[in-house]
Amino acid sequence: MRRLPYLWTLLFLALAVLLSIAIGSVFIPSVDLWRILTGWLSAAPLPESLKTFAFIIVSIRLPRTALVLLTGAALGGSGAAYQGLFRNPLADPYLIGVASGAGLGAAAAMSIQWPYTFWGLLAVPLVGFLAAMLTVLLVYSLARVGKTVPTTNLILAGVAFSAFATSLTSFLMLRSTGELRRAFAFLLGGFTQAGWNPVLTILPFLAIGLGFLILSGHALNLLQFGDDQAQQLGLPVTRTKTLILVAASLATAAAVSFSGIIGFIGLIVPHVMRLWWGVDYRRLLPLSIIGGAGALLLADVLARVVMAPQELPVGILTALVGAPFFLWVLRRAKNQGYW
Amino acid sequence: MTMLQIENLFVSYGPRCVLHDVSLEVNSGEVLALIGPNGAGKSTLVRAASGVIPLDGGTILTNGDDLAALPPMRRARYLAVVPQAVSLPPAFTAWETVLMGRTPYLNFLGQTSASDEDVVRRALQRVEALDLAERRVGELSGGEQQRVLLARALAQSTPILLLDEPTAHLDLQHQVSLMEMVRQLAHRDGLVVLTALHDLNLAARYADRVALLVGGKIKAAGTPRQVLTPELISAAYHLPVAVVPHPFADALLVLPGAAKPPMS
Amino acid sequence: MSRKLLFALLIVTLFLAACGPSVTATPVPAATQPPATEQPVAILQPTAAPIILTDGLGRTVTLTGPAQRVVSLAASNTEILFAVGAGAQVVGRDEASSYPEAASSIPTVGGWSGFSSESIVALQPDLVLAGGINPPELVASLEQLGLTVYLLPNPVTLEEMYTNLQTVGTLTGHEADAAALVESLKARVAAVDEKIATVIERPIVFYEFDATDPAKPYTYGPGTFGDLLIQRAGGTNIGAQLQGQWMQISLEQLVVANPDMILLGDTAYGETPEKVATRPGWEVLAAVKDGKVYPFDDDLVSRPGPRLVDGLEALAKLLHPELFK
Repeated sequence: MRRLPYLWTLLFLALAVLLSIAIGSVFIPSVDLWRILTGWLSAAPLPESLKTFAFIIVSIRLPRTALVLLTGAALGGSGAAYQGLFRNPLADPYLIGVASGAGLGAAAAMSIQWPYTFWGLLAVPLVGFLAAMLTVLLVYSLARVGKTVPTTNLILAGVAFSAFATSLTSFLMLRSTGELRRAFAFLLGGFTQAGWNPVLTILPFLAIGLGFLILSGHALNLLQFGDDQAQQLGLPVTRTKTLILVAASLATAAAVSFSGIIGFIGLIVPHVMRLWWGVDYRRLLPLSIIGGAGALLLADVLARVVMAPQELPVGILTALVGAPFFLWVLRRAKNQGYW
Repeated sequence: MTMLQIENLFVSYGPRCVLHDVSLEVNSGEVLALIGPNGAGKSTLVRAASGVIPLDGGTILTNGDDLAALPPMRRARYLAVVPQAVSLPPAFTAWETVLMGRTPYLNFLGQTSASDEDVVRRALQRVEALDLAERRVGELSGGEQQRVLLARALAQSTPILLLDEPTAHLDLQHQVSLMEMVRQLAHRDGLVVLTALHDLNLAARYADRVALLVGGKIKAAGTPRQVLTPELISAAYHLPVAVVPHPFADALLVLPGAAKPPMS
Repeated sequence: MSRKLLFALLIVTLFLAACGPSVTATPVPAATQPPATEQPVAILQPTAAPIILTDGLGRTVTLTGPAQRVVSLAASNTEILFAVGAGAQVVGRDEASSYPEAASSIPTVGGWSGFSSESIVALQPDLVLAGGINPPELVASLEQLGLTVYLLPNPVTLEEMYTNLQTVGTLTGHEADAAALVESLKARVAAVDEKIATVIERPIVFYEFDATDPAKPYTYGPGTFGDLLIQRAGGTNIGAQLQGQWMQISLEQLVVANPDMILLGDTAYGETPEKVATRPGWEVLAAVKDGKVYPFDDDLVSRPGPRLVDGLEALAKLLHPELFK
């Protein structure tokens, strides 16, 4: 398994996609699945009995699979970018406040009764997204020293602001008249919106953010040597760090606005990829993106079936499953100096 | 014939002025050793010259071109820095590390070609570290790591080389072999070499010229014999020293603690 | 599954994933035949015209006829459906729908942590009855899947609750049953009002519905049915002075207010009058000393359905036992 990382990771993703489409709270026997697929291929009309199953697959599972895939990709990719940017194995996409900002924005938006219109329904994710980006901007401005943005300052400012935002959010939730459960569900992470709208809405942000990150592999490699050496080797450090930060935050904020705060994917997937296939960020970033997508899909499948027909918030599962898995991988890793 | 001209440099950390009106000149084929007590500003000067710290005043020129005005990528084609071998990312191999030195000539994606790999191979050969190429940097000794960093700077193919206390964490044999290599790079390959050194005797033996930096100011600059005098050194380091001829090399030897007090 | 099958499925799935929205979905039929198994046919009102109503979110909802397959997303909705006689038409419910007994045999589609759109769709409902407890995103999601969703708004007064009953009656073809139910409820409420009008002393009541922190239990404030019904049953609710609907009150405030009786709405979480007596600091309350701590079924005041009237009667009996023999 040392070689062909892309092949194995893509296979993993394909398997996860398959499971996500085939499994759900409604049990569709494999025989019926096969008949539906062959029916589509041959363009023959489906028998009545299969129409509901087909509808479920196409209108519910397919868009959900796409949304989960994109969210996992965003979390995996930005997690890898943050770890590279901060040279810190504990870094995750929420380090400088995207999660706490989004949570605060969403909780605040949920306390208002929006009209039942297109924009009204988009209000909560939109406010969450804007709040997340605003938080990053605030933290960045607080951390800046002259022309440089020292990573230590970023971390400190991010942690401080997160604590502030989280306590405000808790306060809002306690004072809310009934929106507590809704806000809590957001903070636990989950995929409540159906249809293609969320997918289409976050796609441009992800394309820009993740697209840029994939191209930044070499820059991240250079940044591992520290700001000084990276600059001396020719990298415009402050500008590059800012762009990477913005790109990663954009992708994370977009993903979080619809899915809530899902932890562990952004932290663990890059580590696993690094353990198996090395620290070169030119490869680590795309692998983390693919791996993150697959991992979140698997977690989502579990979330749908573990307590069916209730859906467990995905964030609970990623933590429950992710942590032991990571410990297992760590123990199996032969080269301890992988970081 | 390149030359590095540092003119009237002023650098401060906040309100504190750490470099005050520093002027230096290094020619190609020449090793200039920057010496002085800790905190004098040696590392700061190297960092300022490489563009990592902003200048409060003064210019850094190479053959009349203003280096300070260049974007980092262009600047990195003129000037390469060999930092101290501390906290290097341990997981990259020596080869990958040296390959980073080609960055000024690569696109944003960092795509390398066969010619880049040639440069890397030659750089590793030059520092006698080609056999370490596939080893992870974290597994190498201090001396080996320092050589890899030197190779990386060489891979940058620059006419000017700056070294920031490269022998600081090295064993004796590695100190000597590294300084030998550095001197050869100047004398044989014609590079402009400016190295900060804390070890006065290495400076005495391997530098063509020496500059003494104390409290952010250049106290003296000239040949080793001109700068490494008991008076200057004792005053700079607040310690009586004796300067004697080296027993077997054509150089001086600075010994702390004199038989008689220095001439005042 | 054989490997060839797996591989083929893999390829096809990837192909499908790429096609995405261009694959048109077959819409769920609006009114399907009832399941083939024998079921008693409910008395339906003959309505020739389609049913058009505006729901709690301001949406216009249209049904071609009375709903025959209803999925209820709130416990209160389930109670209402059964109360107006539409119990046989309920094909799916949420986990918390525990009343009446008959509801337990209906398949669940989700609960506190979310609903499964798949399960709802698989039941092929012609109406999904949501409540104020469900977020608008859920309504939008189900609507997007082609389902007919009606959100029954949370009532604040008993009159609004009656309106909800009538709405559900209309939706399910039980208008007459609903009207009759409303009349009987009004009569019972009037009976209670009549007796309470003669009351001179209104006992001070502390109603507790959550005591996770015994030093700061939760009680009903203004705007809740708990508060409204306690007042109507001839009591004074300590929580009425608080700023908010579900508020914490500190033990100190409780001591100052010194309620005449304590109602435990959190018996479902294991609270009993005996446990209350052992809470540190509570022994000083008059209600505890006199043993006037009573368990109470919180569903009777928190679920906005016909059982609110049951709740009113139960409260009145507790507060003024001498009037209700």
